Amino acid sequence: MDALHDDTLTLYDETFASRFLLGTALYSSPTVMQQAIRAAGCEMVTLGMRRQNPAGGDGDAFWQILRDSGCRLLPNTAGCRSAREAITLAQMSRELFDTPWIKLEVIGDDYNLQPDPFGLLEAARELIDQGFKVLPYCTDDLVLCQRLRDAGCQALMPWGSPIGTGLGLMNRYALQTLRQRLDVPLIIDAGLGAPSQAAEAMEMGFDGVLLNTAVARAHRPALMAEAFAEAIRAGRSGYLAGLMQQRQTASPSTPPLGQPFWHRDGG
Amino acid sequence: MAAIVTLHTNHIAVAGAGLLGRLVAWQLLADGHAVTLYDAGDLDTPPAAAWTAAGMVAPLCETAISERCVHDMGRFALDQWPRWLEAIDAPALWQQNGSLMVAHPQDLGELTQFRRDLEHALGGNAPCQSLDAREIHRLEPDLASGFRQGLYLPDEAHLDNRALLSCLLEAIRALGGECHGHCPVETFPGEVVTPDGARRFDLVVDCRGTGARPHHPSLRGVRGETLHVQTAEIRLLRPVRLMHPRYQLYVVPKPGDRFVIGATQIESEDRSPMSLQSSLELGSALYTLSPAFAEARILEQGVNLRPAFLDNLPHVTRQHGLVTANGLFRHGYLLAPAVVCHLLADIRGHGDQPFADILAACPPQESAA
Repeated sequence: MDALHDDTLTLYDETFASRFLLGTALYSSPTVMQQAIRAAGCEMVTLGMRRQNPAGGDGDAFWQILRDSGCRLLPNTAGCRSAREAITLAQMSRELFDTPWIKLEVIGDDYNLQPDPFGLLEAARELIDQGFKVLPYCTDDLVLCQRLRDAGCQALMPWGSPIGTGLGLMNRYALQTLRQRLDVPLIIDAGLGAPSQAAEAMEMGFDGVLLNTAVARAHRPALMAEAFAEAIRAGRSGYLAGLMQQRQTASPSTPPLGQPFWHRDGG
Repeated sequence: MAAIVTLHTNHIAVAGAGLLGRLVAWQLLADGHAVTLYDAGDLDTPPAAAWTAAGMVAPLCETAISERCVHDMGRFALDQWPRWLEAIDAPALWQQNGSLMVAHPQDLGELTQFRRDLEHALGGNAPCQSLDAREIHRLEPDLASGFRQGLYLPDEAHLDNRALLSCLLEAIRALGGECHGHCPVETFPGEVVTPDGARRFDLVVDCRGTGARPHHPSLRGVRGETLHVQTAEIRLLRPVRLMHPRYQLYVVPKPGDRFVIGATQIESEDRSPMSLQSSLELGSALYTLSPAFAEARILEQGVNLRPAFLDNLPHVTRQHGLVTANGLFRHGYLLAPAVVCHLLADIRGHGDQPFADILAACPPQESAA
């Protein structure tokens, strides 16, 4: 309990007590969204603005609701299909929200919203040069993640599976490799549908979880947010506690010497 | 319950000549009151969201993306609209042919999710039938042939909303209502301030949507975009909704070979023209439903703001001399009958006041007046 109490997430030299980041799209109303944010206990929420005419500040009525939540706002570049679009939008978000933080998305495929690794790396390099704190939404490709880290990203957000699918951790091998090979904070972003999937990501040693659809589209979003928060805490505790190694053969916790002989044949 | 106005005949101002304002003005005139109706825009092509909207009365479709009470108020609307349309001698504006939902083969999960959401909200008794390709074709022969599964919601309806708004204005004028277009106002208890000065009334009813923000600091506008197209190559008998992982778009048939396709929902108060992205989304949804739409002519690109409170539900507030009704969000034609009947019962001081638990509640994060 105490170990978890002191356990914080550090991103770009700032610490967060919560490892749960929540998206703010798709809720049936702002009230329902506010309830979910409270139940999640998150300290950071993402917001999209590509379609809100950010240059005119026309999304402000909604953004004010997010500011009132007390969470740090993490603007994203969702909907951008090229590095240039994403860079321009990031610059706009820095002015609008007075923050150098940006969740960088460059979409390569319109249907499954798969990140474009080439545009992403290009935009990440440029934005890091301009002093942004970039959290890139990326695939689970090791070399891409290494390049993003080398470009100066101090945290990465690999997907579990494509946005909105709820398929969970689709490629455990690739994710495990990322965890073993990279020493920057890794946040699983996108594709989680069930709290157990979030727990699994945390047990694997990921540093946090970002999700939206699974909570926003639940019949009871606040309850689902609470469920994910508990799963993320449980998974993190499990990771910190150290998971036992799985074995093919049973390994009795009491020595068989102490058992009556008729149990020895497995009867 | 105490009536808001006590004299038999009163002079009542209605601010905002959108759907709510017109219905309220017409009903108050029918009750024998003198009514003055104000709108900042033109009365024949009103700036109201109700003019841009598609005019669906679809309680089940909307329940899956909102709350149970929206469904209940929507069922109330299914009963109320035919009576009102009868009263203004325009029953043909109402079409109750149900609605159809379809999805691409790769998005069939969306239909399953919709059904689950509906069962969760309504407990499995929802009038909703699963269809195969043949049944879809029988209902809407002109639809593209690629849809293998669909859902049919037989109770749902739609109305010719622009003709309705015009008929209501005629009815108001015929009953002696005084109508002022291009006249922006400010409203106060018992007083309306027009560009020509202040005018006293026994009661002021404010139905101005996003224009009523002075009374409702938490009110916001949610951008919606619609395409209006015309083609004689395809005929639809009912609204068709295309389910997609990221948006739900519907096409609603209108008289004169016209169709309204909508609507985007963007958390922004931007009133600028439609974006190319939205135009592509709406256009490709149309084309998917039937390639025959490819040669349809685009008559209009509608952009408007849906007035919404934080819970996206409507609320009616009252104080002496001033009543406000607002926040119908994306459900104007679905919720207007419940809101209007609630408000009229309040003004009359008698009769059943429906849905008081929702409508009379203070909007979230606004203190009671």
